[in-house]
Amino acid sequence: MTMLKEIFAELIGMFVGDARLTLAVLAIVAGVSALIKIAGIDPLGAGGILLVGCLGLLVENVYRSARSGLRP
Amino acid sequence: MLTLSTAAPAVGAAFFASIVEVVEAFTIVLAVGTLRGWRPATFGTAAALASLAAAILVLGPLLDRVPINLLQLVIGILLLLFGMSWLRKASLRAAGVIPLHDENAIFAAEAAQLGEAARRRQTRLDWIAGMTAFKAVVLEGLEVVFIVIAVSAGRGLLLPAGLGALAACVLVLAVGAIVHRPLTRVPENTLKFGVGVMLSAFGVFWTGEGLGVAWPGHDLALFVFAALFLGAGLVASALARRPVMEIVL
Repeated sequence: MTMLKEIFAELIGMFVGDARLTLAVLAIVAGVSALIKIAGIDPLGAGGILLVGCLGLLVENVYRSARSGLRP
Repeated sequence: MLTLSTAAPAVGAAFFASIVEVVEAFTIVLAVGTLRGWRPATFGTAAALASLAAAILVLGPLLDRVPINLLQLVIGILLLLFGMSWLRKASLRAAGVIPLHDENAIFAAEAAQLGEAARRRQTRLDWIAGMTAFKAVVLEGLEVVFIVIAVSAGRGLLLPAGLGALAACVLVLAVGAIVHRPLTRVPENTLKFGVGVMLSAFGVFWTGEGLGVAWPGHDLALFVFAALFLGAGLVASALARRPVMEIVL
């Protein structure tokens, strides 16, 4: 039972290393999806927003974590 | 048809990610083998590898039945979360914000834990040692299983990606058998950084395709994305390393 819990925790931990980063990535994907499906913008342009958004998120998250003296 | 530009990123990601994870699992298996003998260590490792192989063989073909757009979107999002998480941690480690993985310290901690178990429950030691090896290989292997399945699903790359992971296992075990101590000289963080870059690139590519984006250059776009994530990771690491400028009034 303990091992199953550990495996489950490992699975969750694989995708939620930092809750803020996880939520931000999901928000960008949801936003891009809405732009394509609801606003009807060009999918390639929306894909560019997804790419640039993820790159920006990474830099912002690492910088913020370092400045706040984060230990993972 | 399988082309180099299609297979290389998937096989490369599976191979390098497996090296990172197998090195971590090897440290614990080595502690078990050294302290409690190679029988429980081998038994636990073999049982774990069989469980992981079964997971790949069951889940891989099953995913091929899911509609391709849905599969791309779900796997793409998971790859983005997983890859960016690795890249974030590797950037912070490269910047010295969080400590590097220390295989010697992990070996010592595992040895101490097994020694403690020996003092408490002498009769069930082989079982405990075998389970320790099993757990280490399963927990580290889960990430390899996810990566192999994620980078290959829906593209007929399960076999090449699986072979890439297997080659990494064989390589690490062969080197480990020769040196017979924790593999501290493997540049784990550099590998993790590289794999994080590749998985993040896969994540953007698949998520976009799942949402209906037709990337220019098709699979070649992956290399552009990887270059951009590499640049972003390096910039993030450099910014994290920079001391805070304090304003003195």
